[in-house]
Amino acid sequence: MKIIIVGDGKVGFALAEHLSQEEHDVTVIDTNDDALRRASEALDVLCVKGNGASLSALREAEAGSADVVIAATSMDEINMVCSLAAKRLGAKYTIARVRNVEYAKELSLLKDSLGIDLVINPENAAAVEISRLLRFPPASNLETFCRGRVELISFRVREEDFLVGKPLSAQSSQIQELPMLFCAVEREGEDVVIPDGSFVPRVGDRLYLIGQPTGLTAFFRLLGRHTPKSRNVFLVGGGRIAYYLAAILDRLGVRVKIVERSEERCRVLSEALPHATILCGDGTDQQLLEEENVAAADAFVALTDRDEDNLIISLYAMQQGIAKVVAKSNRQNYAGIAHAAGLDSVISPKLITAGQILQVVRGMQNSKGSVMNALYKIADGHAEAMEFVANETTRYQGVPLKELKLKKGILIAVLVHNGRIIIPDGSAVISAGDTVIIVSRSHGILDINDIYDDALLDLGGVQ
Amino acid sequence: MNFRLVFRVTGKTLMVLSMTMLLPLLVCLIYRENPVPFLLAIAITGGVGLLLSLIRSDDHFFPREGFFAVALIWLLVGACGALPFYFCGQFASYIDCFFEAVSGFTTTGSSILTEVESLPHGILFWRSFMHFLGGMGVLVLTIALMPSLGGRTLHLMKAESPGPIVSKLVPKASQSSKILYGIYCGMTIVEIFVLCLVGMPWFDSVVNSFAIAGTGGFAIKNISIAAYGSPAIEIACTVFMLLFSVNFSVYFLILCGKIRQALRSDELKFFLIVVAASTVLISFNIYSMVGTAGDSVRHAAFQVASIISTTGFASTDFNLWPEFSKTILVLLMFIGACAGSTGGAIKCSRVLLLLRAIRREIRQIIHPRSVNVVKLDGRVVDEKDLRSTMIFFAAYMFITLAAILLVSVDNFSFGTTFTAVVTCIGNVGPGLEMVGPMGNFSAFSGFSKIVLSMCMILGRLEIIPVLVLFSGTAWKKS
Repeated sequence: MKIIIVGDGKVGFALAEHLSQEEHDVTVIDTNDDALRRASEALDVLCVKGNGASLSALREAEAGSADVVIAATSMDEINMVCSLAAKRLGAKYTIARVRNVEYAKELSLLKDSLGIDLVINPENAAAVEISRLLRFPPASNLETFCRGRVELISFRVREEDFLVGKPLSAQSSQIQELPMLFCAVEREGEDVVIPDGSFVPRVGDRLYLIGQPTGLTAFFRLLGRHTPKSRNVFLVGGGRIAYYLAAILDRLGVRVKIVERSEERCRVLSEALPHATILCGDGTDQQLLEEENVAAADAFVALTDRDEDNLIISLYAMQQGIAKVVAKSNRQNYAGIAHAAGLDSVISPKLITAGQILQVVRGMQNSKGSVMNALYKIADGHAEAMEFVANETTRYQGVPLKELKLKKGILIAVLVHNGRIIIPDGSAVISAGDTVIIVSRSHGILDINDIYDDALLDLGGVQ
Repeated sequence: MNFRLVFRVTGKTLMVLSMTMLLPLLVCLIYRENPVPFLLAIAITGGVGLLLSLIRSDDHFFPREGFFAVALIWLLVGACGALPFYFCGQFASYIDCFFEAVSGFTTTGSSILTEVESLPHGILFWRSFMHFLGGMGVLVLTIALMPSLGGRTLHLMKAESPGPIVSKLVPKASQSSKILYGIYCGMTIVEIFVLCLVGMPWFDSVVNSFAIAGTGGFAIKNISIAAYGSPAIEIACTVFMLLFSVNFSVYFLILCGKIRQALRSDELKFFLIVVAASTVLISFNIYSMVGTAGDSVRHAAFQVASIISTTGFASTDFNLWPEFSKTILVLLMFIGACAGSTGGAIKCSRVLLLLRAIRREIRQIIHPRSVNVVKLDGRVVDEKDLRSTMIFFAAYMFITLAAILLVSVDNFSFGTTFTAVVTCIGNVGPGLEMVGPMGNFSAFSGFSKIVLSMCMILGRLEIIPVLVLFSGTAWKKS
């Protein structure tokens, strides 16, 4: 598909990277020479210099014949004008990043007349994701499927866990009976694997579990790691994510403290968030954190603009014995360093946004097949978890899973049949109307039909 | 340096090269000539290529790997392309074969052969087919045929494509190279038919079309295009030489229906002005020698087109022309064709950028506080691109001077030595005096032939990649 990305910043670059890897024709528009040079050197994309909201630049990039135009500059207004201009030129689908809190509330009115098909707000998405983690602290990451009825979480295996050293098939029957499934494993220095019964967990592995929330809670109870919801949250950095997060937490009745350096910003926050405690000061200053008794909080979230600061103060918070620590980091290589230091929950707004947009683009590529409801990039982007709804185009309906030959690195993790959540065994079947959750190590799955390895199936004679 | 990856890419390119040798093999079989030289060459090239391409490597491609691989590949392609010549037994030594093959792939067209008409058809075809392959680039072909080379093939294309600013036509590199090859092949086929129509024999028109398309200039007659003695053929050749020295993105824009944007190109205007001015000046200068106005314009235009496109064909022995005309031709050898074409030398767009940078410098001295930008096609040229253009020009000149010094050891006249180096580094073909259009390079020593071969590769790859290959730091692992 022909995709134009306006704005070659962090999100724009990440999108260009993911989309060009999926063999789309990507054109990037930006005014900054250096940013364009970096993109043209590192990626197989076409670069156009110019203002993305101007018709001349959009015409040069041939926006009229584009399938998707993504406006991701740092200015919301430019993104809106860009979508409008692209739509007028004939672009089929426009996506605009709108981050401003005031616009975000009112945009539903303007969306249609501005020609925007989808509004993305990476900060809000990140805040939603963090709020989920705070509701379920044992998980390092948490994604939801089927409107929250199925959750995918990850956690790191510790020395004292009884999982260590025993194959999954030999774990106690209590574990086996829980409505959940081990669906992926990340191990230091190795590729992501989809474990089978013979997989032996080791200390330091990052396990991905999928299942019903009740099952996951029960699992962590058995593991002795269950901690209640965070009731008292400490935020460092008062940017947009902090605002969205505080607003969500406030509705849930959670006490929030925000430390922000800029006094002006503090005033804005205190006006918008009457229930939160806003502190003006340097969040990286240990003395200030001690004064505010950070150790008494049961969750700590580092959200300053500097990834480095976030990691360091998160490590400090962990040292203080805070049960749940979350850091924001847009740099992927920092996530690896953070994991090595024991900081498990690292949120990347960039990666969340990329996942959202990939989901839209793949859905457009596959307009006739099964509908993709959700797509999450897990394991630092090395694997994907997807939710599909099977329909009449889905092949091999009614064939038991054990007789299906799937491509390598693909797992059918959960089936939802008539509203009932099933962790499938070999005898389960897919039928039209079912929700199917798939975990895949390969990228570019567009449809349920893409998971079948047809060459193998024909040999087996199953049709 | 990721040597495994470099070797794997090299292996794949050699495999593609061995496949291209199937075509001259076919010509051999049609004319019932000895196919053994080509069979041996295919076996050796393909075998080495297969072995190298089996090396396992990751796909971490960075600019230095790209530059390194391109330079290495061009050296090896020259060495392998020389094999059919070596095995056919009509060449004095392997160095001669290497010179001939490098001259072929770099689309120079300088020959060490004193007598070409007696060569077998297969060898003649291979000589010109090398021009055709080298014109667009061996690696561009490999990328078009084997997109599996890994994600970041752009570095390879960048290192091989001529011109100061390399831009793609469409978002994907492999798609871009397919479009370029499509335009290239389409124009070549049209040319073959046109040359046939104006009375050239079939085989000659195919082979000469390859030579013109790649702006190479290996002739299959001892006295080049003059041998046909036909004004119509000369005019057709002039037109096509000029067409192939225009930036191919102009044709892409025309194909997309953006004719106005295509004709707005500053470089194209500059190129046409230089061609027209040189033709007029030479016509007046040689009028008394040639006799008629029509003939003098025709010969002047042919020679100007031949030299500025860096093809190097001749419709007459311009070595006998007056000094003024000869000097114009030598200056054209420096300027060369447009960027993004199959031609060589410094390239019109660079000359234009340098002239504009000089104008800016003068303006800056007159108005010290003024802020000026250099523009090309109405767009501001980035200072980094401008800097690399200047560095390219300086390197080009230094290497030319150094090569002149090295070749002067052979003790030929200054005119011969100077124009031999200029014509080789500019990928033109003929020079003046002993290496003039009716002469050849056979009298040079083996050492000079290697120096001149290096000049050709330096000129074709626009210097920097080859310097990367010979810089000590590039060889270090870290």
